[in-house]
Amino acid sequence: MMKKYFQTAFLLLLIGLVITACEKDIPVDEDGLLITDRTECAVVNFELLGSDFVTVRSKVPVIDTVAQTVQVEVLFGTDLKNVYPQFTLSSDCKLDPKIIGKVDLSDLANPKVYTVISGNRKIRKAYQLIIKYQ
Amino acid sequence: MMKSILNSGKISVLLAILLILGLASCEQKEYEIPEPVSGLSNDGIKRTLGPNIVGLPIEFAYAMALPKSKGKLLSAKVEASIAGAAGTYLEHRSFYTSASGQDVPVLVGSPSVKDGNATKVTFTVDTNAATLRYFYVVPEEARGKTVSFTFSATSSDGGSVSYQLGPYTISKMDIKRTIAVSNNNNAYISIEDMAVYTAATAAPVAAKIDLVYLFRTTPSTFSHALVSPGSDPVYLPGVVLPAGVNRKSKLRKVFNLQDRNLAQLQFGIYVDDKDFQEINLSDAPDYAIGLRAEAGVWVETQDKKYRAYIYLNSVNANGSAVISILRYTL
Repeated sequence: MMKKYFQTAFLLLLIGLVITACEKDIPVDEDGLLITDRTECAVVNFELLGSDFVTVRSKVPVIDTVAQTVQVEVLFGTDLKNVYPQFTLSSDCKLDPKIIGKVDLSDLANPKVYTVISGNRKIRKAYQLIIKYQ
Repeated sequence: MMKSILNSGKISVLLAILLILGLASCEQKEYEIPEPVSGLSNDGIKRTLGPNIVGLPIEFAYAMALPKSKGKLLSAKVEASIAGAAGTYLEHRSFYTSASGQDVPVLVGSPSVKDGNATKVTFTVDTNAATLRYFYVVPEEARGKTVSFTFSATSSDGGSVSYQLGPYTISKMDIKRTIAVSNNNNAYISIEDMAVYTAATAAPVAAKIDLVYLFRTTPSTFSHALVSPGSDPVYLPGVVLPAGVNRKSKLRKVFNLQDRNLAQLQFGIYVDDKDFQEINLSDAPDYAIGLRAEAGVWVETQDKKYRAYIYLNSVNANGSAVISILRYTL
């Protein structure tokens, strides 16, 4: 009889442990990234690399946080079908869509839009990536 | 009651077994001095890294020794499954490394004699240990096949040993190093011929010309370039193409890929058959401008017959460059 009590108590303890282990104290978003209190939401810097991972910019990029644009001038002959954009964002921000490899930016008439999402995940700012040739 | 006694009995037996096992595992075996090698013995390694390319040597080191009291070395032999090309030899000198790090040769035999697939060195000095290098120049008939090597040695006490190395796969790639190209002169490159032509000599082989080398100072970022003859004329400023030169190759610029065979520099990077098989150049442009020394370009010819990697060994601001090509036939 006593043994049964012990078994039940042990099982309950285990269940309790499992449940508490899964409990989340820290808020994370769908990507497993920390959600913070920060409200900053901006592009801080921008870089564009070619297929050889060397910059294809001819000038420093112009980032307008009011108009929400990133203007880049690229070198003559840049193959914009195979480039790697790199955004530097304010602390705790993330980018949507994610850049996971090379990107085709050759459609100059229709600039691509990248959305910056703030650290608290409540503010979203869509930046236009405007590219022109040297 | 009976059951619990039985159970406790089982547990005791189990504990006893565990204890014995534990004790046995702690037992130390007496160290035995290993038996010294009593006769002729040998060992071998392949020293060359990277792909085995037709026309280039593969280097091996073969070591053989026997106790001094047993006698001396008589001969060393290597037999390749496919006979090596001209230039294949077995070193007749043994090397040691000096205090300053230099490999110093010591003559131990007569120069190697090649007989069919075999290469042999006969020792001329009284020595009981030697390490000989073997340089196997990959022949054309080995392309895409595998090659194995049997190293063997004989000693004066009648002993003989052998050592197997391989099989090694021989690459399907072709290599051509240090081709000088220059603006408006030796500017027409053929991947099929792995050669460069002038405008006059390119005309008769127009269908084989895949790239044009050019150098322009304006815009400043143009500099050294490899452009398909069929590319947009904006990338061929001032170039008057010979009649019929109009192919469109796919090109992709690369940096920091100093293939060891092409660059002959300190970098331990190798381009291999697999790279050519897997690269996808379908969306690559037909030009590569702004090239510099130690940069490279992946190329796929218009007829999709060849893929190549062109490496720029050096560039010169007067409008010339030295290139090296690795080519893979699809």
